[in-house]
Amino acid sequence: MTCREFIETAESLTPLQLRLLETKDEQMSAHARECGGCGKWMESQRLLGNALQVLRAHTAQSEASPKVELAVLEAFRTQGFEGVAAVAPDRAAPAVWKLSRFFEVGAYAAVAAALIIGIFLGARMWRDKPAPQAQAQVQESPLPQVVDPRAATGAGVTESSGSASAEVASKPVSASAIKGAVPAARRSQPVVAQAATTNVDRQGFVALMFCDPLICSGEEQVIRMELPANALASADGNGSQPVIADVVVGDDGLVRAMRIVN
Amino acid sequence: MALLTEQTDEQLLVLALDGNEDAFTALYRRRQGPVYRFALHMSGSPQVAEEVTQDVFMFLLQRGRGFDPSRGAVGAYLFGVARNYVRRAMEKSHSEAMMTTPAEDDDPHLVTDFDPVGDIARGQTSKAVWKAVLSLPEHYREAVVLCDLQDLSYAEAAEALGCAIGTIRSRLHRAHEMLVRKLQSSAPALAGFSGDAARCLS
Repeated sequence: MTCREFIETAESLTPLQLRLLETKDEQMSAHARECGGCGKWMESQRLLGNALQVLRAHTAQSEASPKVELAVLEAFRTQGFEGVAAVAPDRAAPAVWKLSRFFEVGAYAAVAAALIIGIFLGARMWRDKPAPQAQAQVQESPLPQVVDPRAATGAGVTESSGSASAEVASKPVSASAIKGAVPAARRSQPVVAQAATTNVDRQGFVALMFCDPLICSGEEQVIRMELPANALASADGNGSQPVIADVVVGDDGLVRAMRIVN
Repeated sequence: MALLTEQTDEQLLVLALDGNEDAFTALYRRRQGPVYRFALHMSGSPQVAEEVTQDVFMFLLQRGRGFDPSRGAVGAYLFGVARNYVRRAMEKSHSEAMMTTPAEDDDPHLVTDFDPVGDIARGQTSKAVWKAVLSLPEHYREAVVLCDLQDLSYAEAAEALGCAIGTIRSRLHRAHEMLVRKLQSSAPALAGFSGDAARCLS
């Protein structure tokens, strides 16, 4: 047995256990005899064990006086459990109990917080989600028939108004003209339908934006076009009559807003 | 009562919670001694030990229903409560006053009924050791009191103090080294502590 093994074995024992082991374990006894340092250490531990044993024996019969028992039993008889006001009970509880309760409550609070955050984020994502149905509808709808190419008016064509004639009118439009109606229109298809009745700007444009306003905030053009009535879900006119509409188209090709002219 | 003495602490507590006074009395009589001695060894004062014992069982009366057996034994729970009351008592009355108490001749626990030479020597040794124990830092003293003087296992002591078994083991080892040094310097002749007990780690 090496000194390290000796110390490791001895350190894992109380002085009393060490004293018992010393007499039983031949290897430890032999090492303690051979090694001066370990022998002295062992002797000091043995003496400490003896001293602690003496102290223990002196107080072995010590008990609380009968008056303590009387007081406690009196409290039990008169008030029973939970009727006695303990002295600062929260501070007196063992730390491990207090900690476990703390972590228990903390775990519940963490789960509740996670649920609230999850619901909040979910609601926000659902709100911000682009309306797939609306996009699909726009994509699936037949391409509008451009009545008259812009060649007739050139690049700086002004918006035509009130005319049912077949012409294309396009001009740069400031985004602020339709910005107010955009958020409501982005939410979903039903909201878009609702926006058609509620979010109408002063010029009569209904926002139909299907992209983030921060991304598609470039220049727009107003194009007057003739649309088949059955391509417009909200059109309630005669199916055979084409619908003339002014459509605000962004430079990315997406429709921003629309105004029914007739 | 004869049957109650065979019940475990947890069973007695359950019965006591149902209003069984005999069960509560049996639990008190079984556990008051260790709780009292723990407080006595920790504080060095019989008065503090009595107060702490009473407070611990009053606490049990008030919070007994909150005890959870899955978190530990009743004994460890009571030691944990006693530890906190001892700490509060010592904060209140300053530990210096208590430090001198074990050495006082009128300490009833250190005065023996007989007066042979052997008892006197043992009494002196006991006083010297107790002084050394009381001079230890609190967390080392707790480990010594629970494991060496109350005979708790490392696991039970860890439960009572709310720490890991390895922590108890290391605290105990460190406390023993400190005790040996203190006894070597304070009472070498009493218990045969003399010479250098430095460890050999070759």
